[in-house]
Amino acid sequence: MKLYLALILLLPLLGGLFNALLGRMLPRRLGEAIACGVIWGAFVCAVLVLLQFTGPTKIEYGSWLAAFDLQAPIAIYLDQLSLGLTLMITFVCGLIHLYSVGYMREEPDFARYFALLNIFVFAMLVLVLAGNLPLLYLGWEGVGFCSYALIGFWYREEKNATAGRKAFIVTRVGDTAFGIAIVWMFQISGSVSITQLNAMGSLIPAGIVTALGILLLIGAAGKSAQLPLSVWLPDAMAGPTPVSAQIHAATMVTAGVYLLARMFPLIGGSEAVRAAIALTGGVTAFYAAASACRQRDLKRILAYSTISQIGYMVLGVGVGALTAATFHLLTHAFFKALLFLAAGCVITALHHQQDIFRMGGLKERLPAVYWPFLAGALCLAGFPLTGGFFSKDAILGAVFERGGPLYAGLFALGLLTALLTAFYTFRMLLVVFHGEENLPHPHPDPPREGEGIHSALPSVMTVTLWPLALLGLLGGILNLPSYLGVHGLLDGFLGDMPGLMRPEPLSHGTEMILQLVAATVSLAGLGLARSRYAGSRRAAVLAAEEAGSKLSDFLLNGWRLDDLYRLLFIRPFERIARLCWKGVDEAGIDGALDGLARLTARLGRLPAAWSSGRVATSLFGLAGGVCVLLAYVAWLITG
Amino acid sequence: MLGNYPILTIMVFLPLAGCLLLLPAWRHPAAARPIALGVALLELALTGWLYSSWRGLAVAQTGLPGFFLLEDLPWIEAFGIRYTLGLDGISLLMVMLTAFSFCVALAVSWRAVGKRVGLFLALLLAMESGIMGVFLALDLALFYLFWEVMLIPMFFLIGVWGHGRRIYSTIKFFLFTMAGSLLMLLAIIALHLIYAQQTGIATFALHELLKTRLPAGTQLWLFAAFFLAFAIKFPLFPLHTWLPDAHTDAPTAGSVILAGLLLKTGSYGLIRFGYPLFPEAAQQLTPLFYTLALIGIGYASLVAFAQEDMKRLIAYSSIGHMGYVAIGIAAWQPVALTGSIIQMANHGVTTGALFAMVGMLDERAHTREIASFGGLWGKVPLWSFFFLFFSLASVGLPGLNNFVGEFLVLAGTMKKAPLVAGLAFLGIVLTLIYMVRLVQEVCFQEDRQPLSLVDLDLRELSLLAAVALLVVWMGVHPGPLLDLIHAPVQLLSGGVP
Repeated sequence: MKLYLALILLLPLLGGLFNALLGRMLPRRLGEAIACGVIWGAFVCAVLVLLQFTGPTKIEYGSWLAAFDLQAPIAIYLDQLSLGLTLMITFVCGLIHLYSVGYMREEPDFARYFALLNIFVFAMLVLVLAGNLPLLYLGWEGVGFCSYALIGFWYREEKNATAGRKAFIVTRVGDTAFGIAIVWMFQISGSVSITQLNAMGSLIPAGIVTALGILLLIGAAGKSAQLPLSVWLPDAMAGPTPVSAQIHAATMVTAGVYLLARMFPLIGGSEAVRAAIALTGGVTAFYAAASACRQRDLKRILAYSTISQIGYMVLGVGVGALTAATFHLLTHAFFKALLFLAAGCVITALHHQQDIFRMGGLKERLPAVYWPFLAGALCLAGFPLTGGFFSKDAILGAVFERGGPLYAGLFALGLLTALLTAFYTFRMLLVVFHGEENLPHPHPDPPREGEGIHSALPSVMTVTLWPLALLGLLGGILNLPSYLGVHGLLDGFLGDMPGLMRPEPLSHGTEMILQLVAATVSLAGLGLARSRYAGSRRAAVLAAEEAGSKLSDFLLNGWRLDDLYRLLFIRPFERIARLCWKGVDEAGIDGALDGLARLTARLGRLPAAWSSGRVATSLFGLAGGVCVLLAYVAWLITG
Repeated sequence: MLGNYPILTIMVFLPLAGCLLLLPAWRHPAAARPIALGVALLELALTGWLYSSWRGLAVAQTGLPGFFLLEDLPWIEAFGIRYTLGLDGISLLMVMLTAFSFCVALAVSWRAVGKRVGLFLALLLAMESGIMGVFLALDLALFYLFWEVMLIPMFFLIGVWGHGRRIYSTIKFFLFTMAGSLLMLLAIIALHLIYAQQTGIATFALHELLKTRLPAGTQLWLFAAFFLAFAIKFPLFPLHTWLPDAHTDAPTAGSVILAGLLLKTGSYGLIRFGYPLFPEAAQQLTPLFYTLALIGIGYASLVAFAQEDMKRLIAYSSIGHMGYVAIGIAAWQPVALTGSIIQMANHGVTTGALFAMVGMLDERAHTREIASFGGLWGKVPLWSFFFLFFSLASVGLPGLNNFVGEFLVLAGTMKKAPLVAGLAFLGIVLTLIYMVRLVQEVCFQEDRQPLSLVDLDLRELSLLAAVALLVVWMGVHPGPLLDLIHAPVQLLSGGVP
């Protein structure tokens, strides 16, 4: 097992290094084969580990940071949570790598792309498998860097490079909070090991646990694009679409949820922290779902939807429903990766057109994309009996069960969000795939060059959609509700995890009623979308949406958070930076010193016999002064 | 066996002896360069050999705890000045950094320096001797001598081979550092006299002077004088303004040495002399030290963000990075101090590499203005790759070297001053902001000027690849270096083993 675990990490790293160092010189096929091969190799190793898995284990490979009482070795902590995520990551990323071979088939710089994609998987797996927080932080920052480099992959366009930079900086604000939490935990407990810290939960004063929990929440909010650090994710869509699927939907953005779940035995002890986590998740889910309703860029709809769905997961962690949150994390990884990959097919077919108002009627032209996309949309909308339905409902059920005004409010907000989710999902589906093929709705510009449909997609792009579609649709099997008379697989698997707080199971009756409500809400959202975007009202509605309104502009711009931050942080920062340089450094400090030098020079010129050079006078002055001082001190001490 | 040879003396004077070797080749740059590089490589090999055998040496006792090697001879007996060189883990790390940095400095000036090559190389080698001496001297008078000796070559390097306002910059550099070091000289003499008064023994030996009993007031004044000298070198806000000018106008080799080594003499001095000699005074000034270091981190990062010249930006970034070293020293806690010392080496390697790379670009484009670049990833992919790599190291990406030092500093400081550690942590966001701005505007986006550039040649490529490997090694497997400084840090800070 030690070897397999090492291989899980080393294969993607070596693949990445190979492509980074040699990829440019070797044939394209070889680079692609290695990039995909290492990820599938890691998946096979993960399966082998699963077969041998008997219970949580710690494995140490060597020393990393070791100074006095600070010990952070290269160590893996394997338990149900990290193993489950490892399987998901290697499998989904494996599919996305294959898809990338098709998507990037015309990209000359494929070596850089695959190198970064591989190294990303390595960093993500380090994050998930790390046995101590500094090592987890290594993975955490590593995925952040890969995300930065891949968002700005097409670096020539300033917009892309800026989006990458924004993602890097905004997430690092969160990373800082996480970092402070790590050193604080070290200060209190003298340890940075995850298991030791979690075991120490009850020994740490409550106030400090609350503070630590809030810091970790800020860290999670940065990585998982939760409020108020959510602004980077919509812009991150500037990257290639498979990157959005891999990093900004399936894996990296859920790292925050993972972190909170991982440290839950420690931070979950504080009621305030749990409430803050739940509130952040619930409000973010609503904010992003509302924003998604008025987006017109296909990928931005999906980005906001990702923020919103992660909000659900965070909400789930907040109410202590770790199994439900992990369950939703897994199903979401499948169906959101699917939606992004399918969107990538649409975008490729339409020659990089991403505006949904310039699509329409694609169902007939791209059936191989339509059906998987529909499967993903059903899951996202929480259509009854899909994977997304069961996992989202598990979270809402847990929120309901908590009771009290806060959680009742969050439950209502969660239901409202579910309605919006079904609405925007089917808005997207209907506008893109249904309606008239020849774009009946007006748009002012003449069609650009290259517009039109290019329906011959490489088969590797459409084939990879199916496994994800099946997993998304049937993902519910992972954890069927107990009223069906079965014991949920995931419940059983995660249930043994040490330190897991098990929420009281719902009674069967309540659970069934909740699921009926959820199903109704989802269908209502679907009906609402249908009434607007299908049939006779479609043309009028689309025209009205194109025209825009105050509210829709507000939603389109993500509640104007970017403008707010520009006003509050970016502009003052730039101004203060300039002021420090020109005002303080040059005019203030140097101005005073140059003045002093001039004064010395002038004084030095008074005895005319002295040299007139500035250096010499200054030096003489200095040396003379020092001699006097020296003599004085000598006299003081000896006398 | 080692003890039979005056190996430390050889280390100090080998580069100076190398200057003599240069004499026959004075007017033949093509011959002089390999000679100088050969001497520097020999010195590097010597330090490598010392490093490979330090565990064996550590077993033997030298009389001074923690020191592997000691060479002690009477020198100016009238004043009790002795010629004492000693090597412990900290010195060895610094000596290795010195030998390495000079190899880098010589390699980057291979093509860049064309005028008076013989003199240039001789000055570099003389400076190497001076810096080696600073890191090895254990007699305060001897230390002061080396401290001054290392400045003079730098004065000429900037003044003769510099660019822009080089005369202004070099005088500013000289005046700043002289002002500080003269005060330190005063303090050294005062300490010597007080000790002589108390014991009747005239000595400048560090291990003797450590026993001086100082009244609180005197201690504070003497420490203040040392502190000022070292703070200027560091440099701490607001004593930093010599550094951007000196860096910007210095030749590339000068910048590499300035960032890699001269700044480290300040932090080394505090660790070796300032804190051990005046522990109570140091304790008293700790809040001031923290404050200046924190201001330095925030302020320098802000100013760096506003810069228009690449070299100036990296110069300001140096001030910010050294702020972390300062915080770790101020905390005077085992983990933090370990972090500071490792960070001194890390910063020397990464910032030295960044300066070298800007120098390479300057040689090609004849400008360092950020606004004249853009899209270099497409034009000079190798250069851009390494530039991104060293920038990532500089922003403290875990797995690369700087993270190790910064993390240890912050983790250790957290135990002493949680608020300081928290505020310093915020600084890592600022570092990222200015570095990614630099990388984006230089390497990404569209080209802003039609420059035709050639990518790295084999000499530059192998140099940068070697440094990059070192960066990864120090970041992934810092254990051996942490072990090396464990014992001296423990002795200094009284940490539990």
